[in-house]
Amino acid sequence: MSSALNLSHEPVTKIASGKLSMWAFLASELMFFSGFFGTFIVLRNSNYEVFKAGSEQLSWVLALVNTFILIGSSLTMAMAIYHLERHNTKQFRVFMGLSILGGFGFLIVKFFEYSAKWHHHLFPGQEEHTIFFSFYFLMTGFHAMHVIGGMIPMAYMLFRSYGKGGYPYPGKVETLGLYWHFVDLMWIFIFPALYLIFP
Amino acid sequence: MSHDHGNILPSYLKVFFTLMALTLLTVAAAKLVHFPDVAFIPGYVLNITVGLAIAVVKVTAVMYIFMHLKFDNPMLRFFVYIPVFLFLVLGFALNFLEKWTYLH
Repeated sequence: MSSALNLSHEPVTKIASGKLSMWAFLASELMFFSGFFGTFIVLRNSNYEVFKAGSEQLSWVLALVNTFILIGSSLTMAMAIYHLERHNTKQFRVFMGLSILGGFGFLIVKFFEYSAKWHHHLFPGQEEHTIFFSFYFLMTGFHAMHVIGGMIPMAYMLFRSYGKGGYPYPGKVETLGLYWHFVDLMWIFIFPALYLIFP
Repeated sequence: MSHDHGNILPSYLKVFFTLMALTLLTVAAAKLVHFPDVAFIPGYVLNITVGLAIAVVKVTAVMYIFMHLKFDNPMLRFFVYIPVFLFLVLGFALNFLEKWTYLH
């Protein structure tokens, strides 16, 4: 449709280089999180009672709300790309704005969760559950940083779309969309791993 | 991208509602169903396996539709399968083998 979608300059792969790089980056991100998940599984099985007691301190209801927010934000991101590719600038702004709002909502819920943990002295370095909360803060903390990292370019794209002719690079938005969906994917694993698996 | 996906919006909504439903199913499976121990496998390992299996379905839906993998170059799909497969193998294998090691 537009210049960003012309793949004649990628004669071998037929994949836009930005998109291919994003997938490669996401593969490396997956390995980054694999380290957390791998050690989490190993240590959980050998310290089951400690992890169980730690997990019982978490609010799975808040995490469930956050899951819904992130899934919704993923949907609006996909819709934003859909509308930008069809040059519907107005709808693009609405859906991009909603996606950013989803990111904010996620972080606000996370903030309340963290402050409750802080208030109850549930963080690494305390006498109880310290190993579980090391994982909790590392995994959800890195995930939250990913959310913030995604919201910055999203805000920029939304801001640019108010310029003349709207945001001109649908390819870039699609590439960023891959990242945003990945953040959602990681949450799909983190949510049951930390909040749910201890019956 | 350039290829027209036809009208993809209904698929997006379908994936969205599927993800919502599967999230609730994950919570229900974790909170309400307690598997008994089977041979050397403790019940909670089976619980985790069920949770992981539901997560795999969710992830597949997101990657195929939201991340457009269904419409992408087959070579790219192939590249993506490898790390995702290894990640899932890690999850499933550690889950079982780790317990096995402690019991034998």
